[in-house]
Parts: sequence; structure tokens; C-alpha cells
Amino acid sequence: MGVNMEELKEKVLAFATKKAAHKSKMYIKDLYKADPDASPRQIKKAANELVKEQKLEYFSSGSTVMYGVPGFGKGIEEAFEE
Amino acid sequence: MADVKKHDTPMVDELKSGPWPSFVDDIEQRGFNGKQACLDLLGQLELSYKHKETHWKHGGIVGVFGYGGGVIGRYSDVPEEFPAIAHFHTIRVNQPASKFYSTAFLRKLCEIWDYRGSGMTNFHGSTGDMVLLGTSTDQLEPVFFDLTHQMGADLGGSGSNLRTPSCCVGKARCEWSCIDTQDICYNLTMTFQDELHRPAFPYKFKFKVSGCPNDCVAAIARCDCAIIGTWRDEIRIDQEAVKAYMGGELKPNAGAHSDRDWGAFDIQKEVIDLCPSQCMMMDGNELKINNRECVRCMHCINVMPEALRPGLDTGATILVGAKAPILEGAQLATVALPFIKMDKDNDYEEIKDFVDKVWDWWMEEGKNRERFGELIQRQSMQEFLRRTELKPIPQMVKEPRSNPYVFWSAEEVEGGWKRDVKTFRARHAA
Repeated sequence: MGVNMEELKEKVLAFATKKAAHKSKMYIKDLYKADPDASPRQIKKAANELVKEQKLEYFSSGSTVMYGVPGFGKGIEEAFEE
Repeated sequence: MADVKKHDTPMVDELKSGPWPSFVDDIEQRGFNGKQACLDLLGQLELSYKHKETHWKHGGIVGVFGYGGGVIGRYSDVPEEFPAIAHFHTIRVNQPASKFYSTAFLRKLCEIWDYRGSGMTNFHGSTGDMVLLGTSTDQLEPVFFDLTHQMGADLGGSGSNLRTPSCCVGKARCEWSCIDTQDICYNLTMTFQDELHRPAFPYKFKFKVSGCPNDCVAAIARCDCAIIGTWRDEIRIDQEAVKAYMGGELKPNAGAHSDRDWGAFDIQKEVIDLCPSQCMMMDGNELKINNRECVRCMHCINVMPEALRPGLDTGATILVGAKAPILEGAQLATVALPFIKMDKDNDYEEIKDFVDKVWDWWMEEGKNRERFGELIQRQSMQEFLRRTELKPIPQMVKEPRSNPYVFWSAEEVEGGWKRDVKTFRARHAA
């Protein structure tokens, strides 16, 4: 399947940013909806690239990893500050 | 004594009085040698005993830059009382295959951790990683730098990642190992680096590799994909050694139970009658095994290791779907591939192709926090077989009509499901 990674990253980021307005942390499965034509592996790759570029961030529940958009909701450390 | 402060911990201290070595002693000792974090840890534990609730918050941080796993964030919710453990993150370090270490490696690791962390470790976590307990956020990157640059070590898996693969001692120390567990474990670890370090899945996924059906890493009970060494030819029998066991010259179980007098060795009672598929018998002075019926329980081989050995045509059985009881109950793995050759020259392509199909299905259909075994339960074994392109085999059915998960589909039946009910009823009464 010929998917342009840059285009896919844009779609994932746009989808995540829109979603982050009302739900700041999302599972990888939520991000699949960013482009129904892309495979889960491609979405995962795009999301992880975006984390590397610091446009998305990981957030761990302890056992599961979720994705967030920096600036939305509580940050990684901030969530645990008093 | 270093300048540290011990908290008043009467309930925790009671744990030192029992007959067993206590973790309290060890942690306290390290604390008195200069690690306030250790004493704060015991202080917070005392508070948890008092309040009957945890004072930890966990999550948040997942790793170092570029990594989506390997660090488990942990924070105290009473940091004013216990400031040394305000941050108390855990770092998982990928253990070497079979957990062989040089003393120099361990010394260096301890030096790093004494300097940058609490000095406390857990060797090993249940998945197999070396676990470094307790450090602050600002120390994560320096620890990672030291681990990678000074030790040649890497972080392990956590979160929705592939977890650190683990294996038994394999051919390094065990004559029964049918496969090179260490090479397979290392190969899988290196092949799936992306899955290990960056979240890819609905939940955790574990590989474990055991060299023989004794399954010393308990792969069959603990991991999503178990690779267990086996053989498909015949158990090798040394009839002279069998006689030696019967005559008492050789000790059963290699002498493991010789601390007590259990009486003379009785091959009938202690081996043949205990065979689960009753595939063994004595024919005069000769031990005979009906290898077709052998279910690889390993009992006879364990009892008479000099007389019986695994066959020479070796490979692995691949099982899927085991897990511990976190969400649903505990589940043992199901056989997916009864036998495959683990071909090192072919880079273990057969198992990797299978795993790719497993992951494709799970990534597509798995619910958040659903283990692979639970997906099979939810969507059926039949769907698993379809998605992994496996053919059903009789061994997958426990007994006729008990788990008939292999059904005909409409395409496989002449005329599909459409039929003329009137014509049918003309031949069969309702």
C-alpha cells in the first residue's frame, strides 16, 4: 500500500490535535481513525515519528502507553505534581 | 553512619522478626549506608500499612528520548514527608539471554545505580529484565547514556510494547535443550527492536523461549507466544542405563531426591505407571516406548536422564495466548504450530512470518488492553486460524464435541447454506 508518510503524519497530527481538545490522551487504536486506508503499522510508525519530532508525546498509565499532544491536558510530569 | 534519618516504622520492623530473610533488613542496611531514599521508602510503606492504602502514583513518563518504554514512572503522593522518593521511577534493563553475567558487568551496573539511583535493584522482574528501582526524572537520560555507552546494555520493554524476550539456559548448560534458546531470544530481540522500544500494540506482548518441554521459563503459562523446544523422532534409549537404574547403580532424578531413603527404584511405579499417555512398557528387560503417543511430559527423561534423551530431529512447538490473571482469568497457551524447525540459517523466518500475521490481526482487531489470548477467546479459534493461515489439526480439539471451534463455512459446502426445506422435510420428519 503506497502511503506517503509525510501526508500520513499530517493526518495523524491533525486528528490527534482535534481530538485532544476534549480528550487529551488517546490510545494508538484511536489514531487509526486518522486515516482508515492506512494500516495499523503505518499509523504506529507515523505516530512514533511524530513523538520523535516532539509533536506528539507518550503518556504511560503504568501498563499501557497512550499518546498526547504537548500543551493539551496535563503534561507528563505535571499530572503528578501537587 | 551517613547523615540519614530513619522513620519510626514499628509495623515494617516486625517483618524482620520472622524466620525468613527480610527485604526490610536489606533496604534498611542500604539506607544506613547513605541512601535516604531507602529509609523514606520504608517510612512510606509504614504509612501505607497504617492507612491501608498505597501512597504511590504511577505512570506518566515512559522512557528516555525516542523510547516509548523501559521506564515506569512512579511518584510519592506524600513527597513532603518523604522527599527522597518524591520521584521513584523504575528502569527496566534488557537482560542478556539466559541471564549470564560477568562480575565486572554487575559491579559496573551497581556503581551506576548507586550513583544515579536508590542503589536498590530487583534481579529479575517477572518478564526477566534487570529492574533498577527508584530514581528521579533528571537522572533517566544519564542512566540511559551510561547503560548504552559504558555497558552495552539497553532498556527493556514496558507499556504497550513488545516486552523483553526471555529464555531458559538452553544449550549453554542443559543437555535437553532441543533448540538454541539464547540465539532465538537474541535474534527476536534484535529483529523486533522497534516493537520493543516504541508502543505498537493494544497491550503487552511477550515471547519466551524454552529449550525443552520441561519449560523452565514457564512460557506455556506466561507469554503470548511461547517457543518450546521438542523433537519429532524417537526418544533415545540406552537399555544398559535403564538396567542400571533398575539395579540401583544409577540414582533416579540424577540423585535430586537422595537426601532421604525412598526405597529401591521401581521403574513400573515411578515411571511407566506415571506416563500420562501410557505409552511405555517393559518387554522383558527392555524398555519400550510408543513414541507416537508420547505427549512430551518429560517425566521419564527427568527420572532417568542417563537412559533416556530427547530425539535428534529437533525443532519447536509454537503456542499462543497465555497470560496471567489481570483482566480475565489466567490462561494457558494453545498449540498453534505443533512442530517447526528453528532454522538459524534462515534467520527463523518461519516463526517471524507467523508472528507478523498474529500482530496484523491483533493490531487491527484487538481492543485496548486486550491480550492476544483474549482476542482469540473473543473472536474464536477459527478466526485465529483463518487470519494466521493455519490449517486446523486434530490436536487442537481436546476431544470430539468438546471444543468444536472448526466450522464449515458456506463456501466450503456444496450449495452453501441454501436448501429447500420442503424437500428436506420430505425426507426427514421435523
